[in-house]
Order: sequence, then structure tokens, then C-alpha cells
Amino acid sequence: MSGTAGGARAALDRAADRMVDATAVERFVIAVASTALALAFGAVVVAVSGYDAVEFMSALLYGAVGNLQNVAFTLRQSTMLVLAGVAVAVAFRAGVFNIGVQGQFVVGGFATTLTILFLAPHLPRGTVGGVLLMLFGTVAAVIAGGAYAAVPGVMKAYADANEVITTIMLNFIANGVVFYLIDGSLRPPGTSSPNTPSFPDYVGLPPFAFGSSSFSVIGLGVALLAVAVVYVVVARTGFGYDLVTSGYQESAAAYSGVDPKRMVVATMTFSGMIAGVCGALFAIMILGYYTDPATFPRFGFDAIAVSLLAANNPLGVVPAGLLFGGLDAGGQYIGFTLDVPAELIDGIVGIVVLFVATPELFRIAGRFGGLGGGRE
Amino acid sequence: MSASSSAADYARRNPLTVGGAALLVVVAAAFVVAFDVPLADLLTVGTLQRSLRAAMPIALAAVGGLYAEKSGVFNIGLEGFMIFGALTGAAGAWLASGGDSVGQADLWVGILAAVVVCTLLTVGFAVLTVTFEADQIVAGLAVWFLGLGFGPFTATVIWGGVSSPSLPNVDDVTVPLLADLPVVGELLFDTSPLLWITVLVVVVAWVVLYRTRYGYWVQAAGENPEALDTAGVDVNRVRYAAVVVSGALAGLGGAVLSVGIGSGFTGTGVTMVDGRGWIAIVAYLFGNYNPLGAFGASLLFGAMDMLQIQFQTIGVSLPGSIVGLFPYVAVLVVLTLVGYTRVPAAVGEPYDTEQ
Repeated sequence: MSGTAGGARAALDRAADRMVDATAVERFVIAVASTALALAFGAVVVAVSGYDAVEFMSALLYGAVGNLQNVAFTLRQSTMLVLAGVAVAVAFRAGVFNIGVQGQFVVGGFATTLTILFLAPHLPRGTVGGVLLMLFGTVAAVIAGGAYAAVPGVMKAYADANEVITTIMLNFIANGVVFYLIDGSLRPPGTSSPNTPSFPDYVGLPPFAFGSSSFSVIGLGVALLAVAVVYVVVARTGFGYDLVTSGYQESAAAYSGVDPKRMVVATMTFSGMIAGVCGALFAIMILGYYTDPATFPRFGFDAIAVSLLAANNPLGVVPAGLLFGGLDAGGQYIGFTLDVPAELIDGIVGIVVLFVATPELFRIAGRFGGLGGGRE
Repeated sequence: MSASSSAADYARRNPLTVGGAALLVVVAAAFVVAFDVPLADLLTVGTLQRSLRAAMPIALAAVGGLYAEKSGVFNIGLEGFMIFGALTGAAGAWLASGGDSVGQADLWVGILAAVVVCTLLTVGFAVLTVTFEADQIVAGLAVWFLGLGFGPFTATVIWGGVSSPSLPNVDDVTVPLLADLPVVGELLFDTSPLLWITVLVVVVAWVVLYRTRYGYWVQAAGENPEALDTAGVDVNRVRYAAVVVSGALAGLGGAVLSVGIGSGFTGTGVTMVDGRGWIAIVAYLFGNYNPLGAFGASLLFGAMDMLQIQFQTIGVSLPGSIVGLFPYVAVLVVLTLVGYTRVPAAVGEPYDTEQ
């Protein structure tokens, strides 16, 4: 391997080595300490900016889990973050930096929308039709998300194009093209906002216990099912074995007969397919129509933090996704009630990522504090 | 690597880069013919003027990123540092003016503040990546997230919304006599002083990199840190300096964007920087790690950015949301064609003296 991808590869190899070296306990400690430190930093920023830090922390907690409605919102955000997080984790595990989950998610949700809107007149109305539409819509999202991720995969594998940059460019392009198509062709005549028509009312997931119009336990179930599938694929199949080996030891994988180029494309496609499911769920469960993707939450970016916090372990993505879902819900709550800008939470996510990128900090802190970590 | 090699020599060593550039020209030509674009109206002095302006923030960040990577640290956080620069430029100017009418002097205070703040931020980034051996890619992404979060956050604290009110930008300067020269006068001597600063930065960066001892240290730190160490030069110190330069220039680029040529800070979406930091990385890759080449590539991306205005003036009706994507598409084409560029051998590897 040469080129920028080579540099990226080396960096990732080392990060992976370090993470493999780290014991499970160490990883857990790093994850918890990173989040706690980042929150503490957030509180300091809040205090310096002239707000009340104690009020901020308690409001953050209340916004996340304070009442049933807030819990539903937390779980809704967590559902998205778990799915997007698993998509990121699959790629990172294989040593591929898929920063394009956001774009694949946008394209997936758009494919769902198109499918539902165009098939709806041809299928029976009512529950059966609704279920069929949702199934077809999700399949379309999986295909679209996978295909959109395969593009940077091919570019990386066969042209050595740095996937960090290509996937970010494709995020911009996805937003622009989807906006153009909605604004130009799907917007009902006479309306001014760039929205598609709404889905038929029999398309949607039942609210069950939470009574929320934008969260259903079924959605969370889909996310957990995806986690289980990914876990089984990674831990129990030949594809998963090759995927993880190419992530940790590219040369070893090549010796055992894995074509690294095809592996990169396959990994990206797999990752994009999961991102597609996330998009389908977003369109069906949360929106019920589609709109300008520039206004969407950046689940695909937060998912990077989720995956890193989970040391790119599919199972670890669940608690990390719940944590970040809570942070997100809490952040939006403080945005409404305390007037503390909700963007603060994005900054806190950045700090978490920064800490997770630097395990050495904790090792050194651990050595000085005599709390284990004394491995040389 | 000698910088005085001839063009033919360059083409021989970089067949794909040259081939890629040639292909771009062919594609552009095909586009012109297929859509019957009135070329003469497209290639005016005005076009070049706008492209130069749009190229400034990209070129500044690209030269910075090039230094960091030459020294062995992949500063993927350029986009984030540009956001901090854009914010600080606007905030500095606003605070210097006391909030009422922002004058020219206040704008320069803002630009200076952006450079200082981003220099300090990159010292922190260098501590993490050089001394604490943070994963450079993940840490760089984190800088972007920090910018996306704290940029609009700080804007809200200062202005009550994620964007600043509309601010003036730096006045153009007209050099008497020279400005009357045909074409060149209009381009270089009746323009924003920030263009001179950008050109100066590019030229100085080239001279320092290829003609001074420090430049050779930077190159050695990225290519063969052991040798540099053996020669008695502190590798990590060279890397610190290069990384800090990259942050300072990215910050300057951001400030040029917000108060140099723009009208204040915009914090909606992915902020007004809008991918220019990522494009800057591609610009120096396309320019084959040469500051002059990076400037040329920035000009190309700047021109792409300005196509929208150009198309409007000549009456080609392509929707703005699509024309606005041209720079990103250009990046994909460029990366696919020259993605193989030979990166410095030790990029991404922390250097431990004990090893």
C-alpha cells in the first residue's frame, strides 16, 4: 500500500494495536473517564460563559431521563446512534475510515421515501400494505446505502483515494443532490418548503408503551437486531474473520488468501447497508416524509464517537449509543429550557473523541495515580 | 528532492498527476462543447479575480497542512481549525469595535486574533499528537467536531445566534500606476491585501521548505526521522513547529473567509467553512506537497466554487444546489486520479527517541 491511504492505514494499525493491547477493563475505564472528563469540561465552559453549571448538569440529566417523554426521546436518539454506530464500527474494525455514514444514511432514507411514495398507490391500503411498504422501503435503503458506500470503497481499493476525504465529499454531495431532487421534483405544487408529500398514515411504527409519535420499541428492536447480526457476522463467520484480520494485520490477511482490495469494498458496502437501515428507520419512524438533509441531525458523525467509545466493538455500541442518546436528548432539552446552546453537546462529543484518541494520556495519568495501567 | 527540476522532469516523476490535470482539462473542454458554453464570457479577468479570492482560504490552509504532513503529522483537523479561525476573526473584530460599527482596524484585530487563537489551539493538538501519540486521524476528526460544536456555541454566547450579524470585510487596495497595467494590474494591484499575504505565504513557504535548513529538517522529520535524530536535531521539536504553523495558517484562512472576503461568521449546518479544510488537504495532495502546486490546485477549487456566479452571468441555467457541488466532485476526481501521491514515509508515526 502506498499513498495517503498508507499513512492512514499505519495510524489505524497502531490505534488498533493499542486497543488490542488494552484490556477490556482498561477500555472501559478509558471510555468512562473520557466521557466524565468531557462533561466536566462542558460544565466549566457553561460556567465561564455565564450560565449556572449545576443547573446545566441537572437539566441535562432531566432532559435525558426525567420523565417518560424524555426517556422516549433518549431511546429514539439512541436507536439512531446504535445503528449508525454499528455501521461505523464495522468499517473501523476492518481498518477503513468510513466517515460517510451520514451520507449513506441520507441516501438510504431517501431511497425508502421514494419507494414508499411510488409503491403506495399500487399496494392495498391498511396494515398489510403498510408493512409491505416499510419492508420494501427498508430493502431499498439497504441497497442504496450499500451502493453509495461502495463508491468510496472502490476508489480506496483501486485508486488509493483517501476514504476519509472521499466519504466526507460524498456526504456533501448526498445532501446537495437529495435536496435538489426533493426541491425540484418531489415537492407538492403550491408548497414552499422542500418537503416530500407525507407517507400514507398506515405507514409507521406503533407507539406502544411510550405513546410517542416518533419513537417505537420496534425501532429499538431493529437496532438491537442489527447489532446482533453484525456481532454474529464479525465473530462467527469467515467474512467476519477476514474483516477483522484485514483490520489488525493486513499482511496476515493477504497471506491467508484474502484479497485486500475486495475486502475494502465489501467492508464499505456492509457498513453502508447498515447506515441505510438507519436512514430507513429515520424516514419511517421519525419523519414520516423526507426533507432537506442539511436540517437532519448528524447521527453519522456522533456515531463515530459512539463507535470509538465502544472500541469498535458491535456489542459495546449499545451502551455507548444509549449514553450518547441521553446526552443528545439532554442537550436539546437544555437548548429549549436554559437557553444554553445545544451545540455545546456537539463540542462535548468532540472532546470525548479527542480523549479516546489519546489513550496514552490515561496510561500516564494511571501510572502517576498508581491505578494500574503500569504496562510497558 | 530538488525543486529546480524542469517541467519535463516533473512530468516524468508524476505521470498520473500530469495525466490527471490533462484529463481534467479534456473533461472541462468536453463540457464546454457539449453545453455550448460561451467560453469567452466564462474566462474573464473577473472570473480569475473571483477565483483568486475564493482560493485564498483554501491555499492558506493547504500550505499549513502541507508543512504538518511533510514533518510527519497528518493534520486532518484543518477544517476544524478553519472554523475556529472564521469564528475568532468575526468575534475579534466585533469585540474590538465594542459592538457598534466594525471598522477596518477592527477587522485586522480579528484576523490577528484568529491566528493567535488557532496557534494556541494547535499547540494543544501538537501536544496530543506528537507527545502523547494520539491517533492523528481520530484526533483530527475530533478537532472538526470541536469546531462544529464550540464554533456555533461561542457565536450564540456572543451574538445570541449561531451566526454573527453582517460585518464589513477588508477593503481592496489600489496601487497607483501598477493598477493601470492590463490584466495583471486588475488582478494583483487592485485587490484585497489578503491576496498579497496569501501569495507571500505561499512563496515564503516554498523558499523555506526547499531552500533553508529548517525546510530540510521538516522534510527529514517526515521522511527519515531516525537520520534527523542522529544528526542531533530534535524530531518532535521540528514537528511541533510544523503543526503549529499549520494551525496558524488554517486559522488565518478561516478569518480570511469570514472577515477577509465574507460578511461575518455563519454557523448554520457545517458552518461557513463548508468543507474547505478538507478541500485544502486535497489541494496539497494534488499539488504534490509543493506550496506552489498547492496554490495552483487551490485556484482550481476556487474557480469551481465561483462557477455558480459565472454560470448565472452567462445565463446557463443549472440549479445552484448542483453547481455548488462542483468543488466536491472535483475533489473526488482529483483524489481518484492522484490518490496514490507518495506521502512522506513516516507520516502518522509518532517518534520516540528511545527506539
